[in-house]
Amino acid sequence: MNLMSKQKNQADLSETFADYLDQIEIPEELNAIVDSAIQRTKPLKERNMNMKKFAKHTIAASFIGLMGFVGSVNLSPTFASSISDLPLLGSLVKVVNLRQFEYQASTYNATLEAPVIEGLEDEALQKSLNTKYLEENKKLYEAFEKDVAKMEQFDSPGHLGVDSGFEIKTNTEDILSIARYVVNTVGSSSTTMTYDTIDKKNEILITLPSLFIDEEYISIISENIKTQMKERMKQDENLVYWIEGDEGALEGFDRINVHQPFYITAEGKLIISFDKYEVSPGFMGIQEFEIPTEVIEPLLVSSLYIH
Amino acid sequence: METELIHYILTHKELHYRLAYSYTRNKEDALDIVQDSIVKAIHYQNTLKSKEALHPWFCRILINTAKTFLKKQKHFIPLDEVSPEKLPSHSEKPTYNLLLEEALNHLSYNEKTIIFLRYIEDLELREIAKLLHQNLSTVKSTLYRTQRKLQLLLEKD
Repeated sequence: MNLMSKQKNQADLSETFADYLDQIEIPEELNAIVDSAIQRTKPLKERNMNMKKFAKHTIAASFIGLMGFVGSVNLSPTFASSISDLPLLGSLVKVVNLRQFEYQASTYNATLEAPVIEGLEDEALQKSLNTKYLEENKKLYEAFEKDVAKMEQFDSPGHLGVDSGFEIKTNTEDILSIARYVVNTVGSSSTTMTYDTIDKKNEILITLPSLFIDEEYISIISENIKTQMKERMKQDENLVYWIEGDEGALEGFDRINVHQPFYITAEGKLIISFDKYEVSPGFMGIQEFEIPTEVIEPLLVSSLYIH
Repeated sequence: METELIHYILTHKELHYRLAYSYTRNKEDALDIVQDSIVKAIHYQNTLKSKEALHPWFCRILINTAKTFLKKQKHFIPLDEVSPEKLPSHSEKPTYNLLLEEALNHLSYNEKTIIFLRYIEDLELREIAKLLHQNLSTVKSTLYRTQRKLQLLLEKD
């Protein structure tokens, strides 16, 4: 093949491809899907006016239907029954439910609830936690108000929802682990989880670094999680985790953060948690990994909490 | 960086959809791939070093997502297992460029990827080599070999 015909053929191939591409129809849904993918990765406050376009396709997140009064502390019946299932109800430290804010309009709903810890002797610790919980909800409420105001400017407002609340992960003689969640709904929903674990006897807030003698835990735990991710994907072909170094992927899970969200189970196991989209596609939701105690044992400060 | 990335995503969405579609031949799957790639790109935008690298970087996320997806969906049929009756083209619209589609089915995943990156995403050989972790001369020879293969397949009928 001489140079001339080679060049000619390459030009033909370009044309054939241009033709081929033109014939791939762009589906109507593409815009909505691209917008919602961009939107869901942004925190509530950064959301922009684009929300209207895909707001029509939304379904509001379901809210937990507890009765309550704005601004008053109340122990809900649902919650009371769930806590009585746990051992050591008699413990002096308890958590009550505060319905801070509720707003239900045709297309907007907000239900913000905060835990209130009672009975800790260390009042400074108790107060700092309770203040933190209330402040966070206040911020969510302010952001929600702004979003509603923006949405009101449109002729046909879409759905907006924010839902915060908590769940007692562990409540034993020694440990209280509280998980708090925030579900934002604009287009599609996103969930973020935060945890606080308290040593009830010594009345201290347990942080992830405080459990270990040095920062080696970061790589040990990260490696274990990667192994577990691969194992899970092998077991179930439908699962997808993004792992750094997989098939030349630049982008993927590599290491946990120093303060990666965690909690401790009643059996004394360490659970590491990842938010939706953090290490896997949206359909996988929030991901939790139990770290086998023998893996981290040499690095533990003591076996008091984790064993 | 965030603003540039979002601008890039919004201005290239049709191209990216077409690239995803070239792998999946299926609308729903292609949309899923585009969606997951965007979420991934925004989440991992700090791994992106400079603005110039944005296009190849995003293409890489997209082809990796497509590859993982194809494996999971078991739609990934190795070259030598493809037989004419298995070709999905008959279910598509008749206006489709069947000849090229059929020809593409005779390419390996790697050959397809190089061809797509060159002809769909318009990347330079140097960029393709970097993105696929292959050296330039390998990419060059694969591309030329694949071009010739495609030309022969297209002329045949």
